[in-house]
Amino acid sequence: MNVLIVEDEKSLAAEIASFLSKEGFLCEMAYTGMDASEKIAVNLYDFVLLDLGLPDYEGLDLIADAREAGNDSAFIIITARGEVEDKVKGLDLGADDYLAKPFALVELLSRIQAVARRKFNILNQNVTAGDFTLELQSRKILCKGQEVIITRKEYDLLQYLILNRNKVLTRNQLYEHIWGNILDDQYDSNFIDVHIKNLRKKLNEYSSAPWLETVRGIGYRVSLE
Amino acid sequence: MTRLRIKLALFNLSSKVAFTVLFLLFMPWLIERINLIQVDTDLIQKREKVIDLISKTGIEPFEVSDSSNIFGSYNILKEEFVSLERIDLQENANYIDVTKRIIEGDEIEYRVLHYSFLVDGKMYLLEVGKSLESILHTKRNIKIVMLVFLVFIIIITFLTDLQYTRVLLKPLDKITKKLRRISDPSTFDKIPVKTSTSDFYKLDTAMSEMMTHIDELFRKEKEITVNISHELLTPVSVLRSKLENLLMQQNLPDEISVKIEESLKTLHRLQSLINSLLLIARIESRQYARNESVSIKEVIKEIAEELEVIAEDKGVRIKVESEIDYMFERANRSLIFSMFYNVVNNAVKNTSAEGTVIISTGYVKNIPTLIISDNGRGMTKEEMSTLFSRFKTRLDTGSNNTGIGLAIAKSIADFHAISISVTSEINQGTIFSFTFPEFS
Repeated sequence: MNVLIVEDEKSLAAEIASFLSKEGFLCEMAYTGMDASEKIAVNLYDFVLLDLGLPDYEGLDLIADAREAGNDSAFIIITARGEVEDKVKGLDLGADDYLAKPFALVELLSRIQAVARRKFNILNQNVTAGDFTLELQSRKILCKGQEVIITRKEYDLLQYLILNRNKVLTRNQLYEHIWGNILDDQYDSNFIDVHIKNLRKKLNEYSSAPWLETVRGIGYRVSLE
Repeated sequence: MTRLRIKLALFNLSSKVAFTVLFLLFMPWLIERINLIQVDTDLIQKREKVIDLISKTGIEPFEVSDSSNIFGSYNILKEEFVSLERIDLQENANYIDVTKRIIEGDEIEYRVLHYSFLVDGKMYLLEVGKSLESILHTKRNIKIVMLVFLVFIIIITFLTDLQYTRVLLKPLDKITKKLRRISDPSTFDKIPVKTSTSDFYKLDTAMSEMMTHIDELFRKEKEITVNISHELLTPVSVLRSKLENLLMQQNLPDEISVKIEESLKTLHRLQSLINSLLLIARIESRQYARNESVSIKEVIKEIAEELEVIAEDKGVRIKVESEIDYMFERANRSLIFSMFYNVVNNAVKNTSAEGTVIISTGYVKNIPTLIISDNGRGMTKEEMSTLFSRFKTRLDTGSNNTGIGLAIAKSIADFHAISISVTSEINQGTIFSFTFPEFS
């Protein structure tokens, strides 16, 4: 899949591109609205990551123009403006998601994947981890065909870890993914530890889950072949 | 508390009453004095007349040959009398006094002028008298008339005072109302209050200018906060991506990975700080919409479920006792959620194992109220005073939190006109009460 990164902060664009390339995406960059507008008009992108705070262009106009031209790319707004109405306006104009800066790169990836599943109906295959199977469509985890009863939050946590398998996810990244909407000073909390502990307990009742690893000093990882 | 115009009218009334009482006390004496002076002048004039008469006609017509040797003349109503009497040469009199005379059985008080004079080598005493009866009557009558008149005057002036001060103080009333109506300097009504009193005009103008000034300062402060936060978030974003990419590199030595994660943690702290400040600035600059109707019961249930896992792990019980489901109108659900979430979370944090956090809703004095209480370690007065200040965290928590959670809660409460009151006792626990505003 190809992605256009519209971002005037060059080093940030470079980091995003470097990360997404490793995930198998084909990345192009545009540092100005003018450049982006031309690229969107000429090429067909699966995804456009759009920073709203461009020096020469009102970012939201890019979405409107593209939609008017019948462009079907998925737009994900990434912005540090954080104006309350930006999100509503962006989604109204046909943006597919909205991500406030600073965000975790894995979070960006998971948003892209979610849009891909929803919009392009891909990446919907079930994922197997040991004796367990993660059903993305029904949002269930099964063990040898039997459903494992876990809470919604535990499922979200598990899915996030499994979809980002073989990557270490820090507690903050996990916390942000699940409680992103709650703003407080929980960065040193053990919320994630407690949830993982409970999740392990529940999984272990069905079968052992050694693939759910604790990485000391950093966070958690799901290790799968 | 008494209203200014009532106070003014009451003061006027009491001063009038005091003056009246004083006047009424002095009046009899005054009337008497005036009357006596008048009577005395009369008596002296009469004496002059008699002396004139004697000097013209001689003393003979007045000489009485009977044994008493006294000439006396009373008018019919015994109002006045004149008497002439021969006395010893040595006796000498020239004074006025009050004496009682019994005339035909009636005892009558007279003001009497005594005057002795020599005629033909003989000493005579002339007495001219005037009855005081009529003076006494006059005195009483004047008193009654005065009393009635003064009471009437007092009542009339009191009522007019009351009415006049009401009209006079109307602009002040309006200014007070204007001030009470607003919740924020920006909503102050800048249309000047109509008044011809320069003091009120000055007060209103000064108030208006002050509000504009405060409003401007607020706006600037908010703008600066928002701008600075935005400027800060971009570099944080760059740093974060760089560090995350670094951490994802294969075959990193463990100690490097841990160091990178520590840096990310610190960066995250900075990020959440900036975001918290941004949130408060946005709330204070009224950027959030208040257009939802929020079920408090539902929000509480959700928060309890959310925090139950962490509380359970600590051995703390969260109990929800909602008698009522209160629909809070004109609210922002996600802000309301954050507010209660922060306070409940704070309660769980400060309660040790075996403790309980109770969230209850109900009516207190007919006002919908939500109470979050814990039997945790409580707070000192000092801690309470800085509870809602930004960045003032308790000294002995040992945690790294910025202590901004409650400041956020407070600004959300202010935004929704919810009042928060806190009571706390060391080692007994803390109670947060949220009183919802009434929409009548």
